[in-house]
Amino acid sequence: MTRKSPPRQLARIAWPAMLLLASAACGGNYPNSTFLPNTEFNRDVTSLWNTMLLWGTVVFVIVEVILIAAIVRYRRRPNSPEPEQVHGNTAMEITWTVLPLFILAIIAVPTVRNIWKYQGEAPADALQVQVIGHQWWWEFRYPQYKITTANELYIQANRAVRFELQTVDVIHSFWIPALGGKRDLVNNRTNILWFTPDSTGEQGFIGSCNEYCGSSHANMRFRAYTVNAANFESWAKHQAANAVYPPPAPVVPAAAAVPTSNIGAATQDPATVTPPAPAAPSTGYEFPREQLGAHLVPGTPLPASLKFNEALLANASAERGLQTYSRSACIGCHKIRGNPSSMGILGPDLTHIASRHTIAAGLFPNDAKHMAYWIKNAVTMKPGAKMQVFGIGEMDAVMKRPMTTQGGLTDEQIADVVAYLRTLK
Amino acid sequence: MATVAASPSYARPAASEKEGFMAWLTTTDHKKIGTLYLHTSLFFFIFGGLEAVLMRWQLMKPNQTIVTADQFNQLFTMHGTTMVFLAIMPLSAAFFNYLIPLQLGARDVAFPRLNAFSYWVYLLGGIFITLPILFWVAPDGGWFAYAPLSGRTYSPAINMDFWVLGIQILGISSLAAAFNFATTIINMRAPGMNLMRMPMFTWMSFVTQFLIILAFPVITIALVFLQFDRFFGTNFYQVSAGADPLLWQHLFWVFGHPEVYILILPAFGLVSEVLPTNSKKPLFGYGVMAYSGILIGFLGFGVWAHHMFSVGMGPVGDTVFSLTTMLIAIPTGVKIFNWIFTMWGGSIRFTAAMKFAIGLIALFTIGGISGITHSSPPSDLQQTDTYYIVAHFHYVLFGGAIMGIFSGIYHYFPKMYGRYMDERLGTWHFWLNFISMNLTFFPMHYSGLLGMPRRIYTYDTAQGWDTFNMLSTIGAFLLMPATLIFIWNFFKSKKGGEPAPANAWDAATLEWSIPSPPPEYNFAKIPVVHSRYPLWDLTHPERTKDVPHTDEGMRHTGEHDVVDMHIETERRTAKELGIPMPSSTIKPFWTALGIVVMFTGLLIMPHNKMAGLVGIFTGAAMLVGFLYAWLTTPLEEHH
Repeated sequence: MTRKSPPRQLARIAWPAMLLLASAACGGNYPNSTFLPNTEFNRDVTSLWNTMLLWGTVVFVIVEVILIAAIVRYRRRPNSPEPEQVHGNTAMEITWTVLPLFILAIIAVPTVRNIWKYQGEAPADALQVQVIGHQWWWEFRYPQYKITTANELYIQANRAVRFELQTVDVIHSFWIPALGGKRDLVNNRTNILWFTPDSTGEQGFIGSCNEYCGSSHANMRFRAYTVNAANFESWAKHQAANAVYPPPAPVVPAAAAVPTSNIGAATQDPATVTPPAPAAPSTGYEFPREQLGAHLVPGTPLPASLKFNEALLANASAERGLQTYSRSACIGCHKIRGNPSSMGILGPDLTHIASRHTIAAGLFPNDAKHMAYWIKNAVTMKPGAKMQVFGIGEMDAVMKRPMTTQGGLTDEQIADVVAYLRTLK
Repeated sequence: MATVAASPSYARPAASEKEGFMAWLTTTDHKKIGTLYLHTSLFFFIFGGLEAVLMRWQLMKPNQTIVTADQFNQLFTMHGTTMVFLAIMPLSAAFFNYLIPLQLGARDVAFPRLNAFSYWVYLLGGIFITLPILFWVAPDGGWFAYAPLSGRTYSPAINMDFWVLGIQILGISSLAAAFNFATTIINMRAPGMNLMRMPMFTWMSFVTQFLIILAFPVITIALVFLQFDRFFGTNFYQVSAGADPLLWQHLFWVFGHPEVYILILPAFGLVSEVLPTNSKKPLFGYGVMAYSGILIGFLGFGVWAHHMFSVGMGPVGDTVFSLTTMLIAIPTGVKIFNWIFTMWGGSIRFTAAMKFAIGLIALFTIGGISGITHSSPPSDLQQTDTYYIVAHFHYVLFGGAIMGIFSGIYHYFPKMYGRYMDERLGTWHFWLNFISMNLTFFPMHYSGLLGMPRRIYTYDTAQGWDTFNMLSTIGAFLLMPATLIFIWNFFKSKKGGEPAPANAWDAATLEWSIPSPPPEYNFAKIPVVHSRYPLWDLTHPERTKDVPHTDEGMRHTGEHDVVDMHIETERRTAKELGIPMPSSTIKPFWTALGIVVMFTGLLIMPHNKMAGLVGIFTGAAMLVGFLYAWLTTPLEEHH
């Protein structure tokens, strides 16, 4: 037993390594940190955490110091005397029973106060958002503004937001770590969560599902943008309006020329053109693309097995795309307010799909290319995705056979549909 | 007396003792069954570890495709299930089997054939639930199997059927074993060994058996509901019929939280043997150690909903479960301090077992402290279902239970095989294990608090988690050589380790008073116990002079020759000594197989009704037939 143990050398580098790790966490860019002081909840929890960390460290240091002192001091040596036989010490044992009680009381008081504080009523003027969980995407409804959207949540900076959380299938959990604690979406009940992002300014955040919910649990993400009141109103007004096809000409200063294009032709076809929407603004506010932090730009790679002729995207026709979209299975699951044939409710509402920055619950950037791949074969891009495979020749996981012209789409047709969807600003 | 420890060697087992495959298949000897448990559970421990390594490989970098989403979901489900039900629980059971009768001064457990039955059910159930992962059709609903995801609607395939039925099979094993050990501890203590003279490992095992007896029926009910939902269309968790899925969560965690203590208390018991022995001192505060174990077990049933702070229980529920959870820290803290003060003032010998025991104290403390941080619901809402929780419970279960079990293996190996394990390799194992364990799990505190959810098979770039995940993966890779060293040491030492005397570590309890490895009958003469440290009474009377020595608790056992405390050096057969031993029988094996065939029949019924029914009735017939044959055969041969 007196052999010198070589692995102790390893231990000598282990502790500094851990300290290094601890200090590494202080710098660096952590966009999803739960300690970002963006809401009162996060600040209260941070202060609670600091209390616990302080006392936890005190206890840790006491325990480890006594432990190390014991093993250093009482190491058996050749001439070690027979130790004194101590069977216990009532006073000491009472001490280390009672002292932790005091530490626990220090933690318990703010704990209980915060439990009640954050399960109270939200302010009356709070923004109401209904969050509906689906395998594996998020539906957001704003009853005060008559908006239904998906996977991108706009909330107002400095205004309380009250979420009503529900699910249509299994239990999910709604969490934006930088803005507050999580709350589960439980069947047959409505859970409430509210907070006020009071010091964020205009920022984007990552949200995620935190209760394991099946194949693509990891891919059930969303974006949350805190925007100022004017921008929020602009966004909300536009989102509430119906989609208009062809898209109205952008409002431009009188001096600038209004580009004339062939879109006028579409208005002559009464079968496909929707009735004019009530005073739709040409575009509403969108969270500016250039302000998206690196963490908000999806980096999911496209599956190597999936091929799409991207050249087709350049010459696609939104007009043909509208026809194709309205006659294919898309309309069974998706709704586009303003397109009377598109009335499905199983999938995300696509009314203003082009105003979002991501598709597939935050998995891919919302651009023509990714949209095309997605329509062609969604399930290879997102395991378990319930969206039908459309690409002709692609394996249909449900029917267990390759898609045919019966219900399938060619790359040209997909490019057209993408062109149509891209007009839905 | 001093000559005893020096006596170097013992006769090898008598030639008449049966060896070979059939001997193992039919054994009713608690030591052989303990050995079977040990080897099987070590196999599952490595299997579950490899599942974890695959997961860590997938998560080493963002957006990797080492495994698919569905494979990853199977891996984390099976990693949890394997480690809880097939590795740590049965590793503890290996020690229950091997040690409890030896520590009590008994010749076997109360029900030797039931003991064999428990093992065979465990082995066959373990195969039942593990085989599917080799074909990637393993359970994929998480080891917690939350409704409604675990129901037929959202998990239509066979995957979760394996889990629902497999856990029921394993529950039969655990319950049968728990009743067996509880009965053994209550009834089979040597004369003079009252409850407060039991070795601390037996004490903690005693508490554990009651936790199993009280907790497993709850999960069994939950599983029967789920099984009926999945196979017979009932609506216990069918949300479309109005069910509340929180029913499952409450039932699961009423089982699931005591389960944590089922996993950790035996390890606490083991280090409570290792620390005093290697410090040349008695356990500090024996009474408080026993009571705190009972208190942990008791409070463990009143904290389950702290797993559910995010489901929206309301402020009253959150407050109550928060406070009860904080309270449980107190008996746990008491144990930590009592262990440290057991060493304080002692003469510490740093055996590999001792290093692991000290490792448990150091690491479990971290797990306990991080546990406090999520006993506070507001704080927990930022932690639950993140990697912070993964860090926390691995400090508890790897830093606690596994370190304790390794400590126990190094410590009791000489008793089991009559040879020491290699101390030098043990030291390498300890340090490599200790360092890579921290490297794996410490960074997870950070990735969790920085917003990384659990149970995700992939994550995006630029989320601030890359460094921590890379470190965790390196740590997980390093745990492989650490474990390999242990396995090599284990098998090498069995054959060629340094021979160990009966009292290999100069310990204080009865199991060290008999030869190593013990003869089939354990004690030729049942010892009479006069104090808490019967063997030190004999070898180091100066150490026990302050301990009460009375005849209190003395009772007649009806056993054969009862003698005062002594050290046995002779090794003869039970027959020569006229000791009746339970005879070998294969009936428990066939009975266990009947149960597994029955469940297999149910498993295939949705796919092939006829084959399923044949399986169910064949299994039931085996179960009833062999159980009848078993119960009508006397335990012992005539002698």
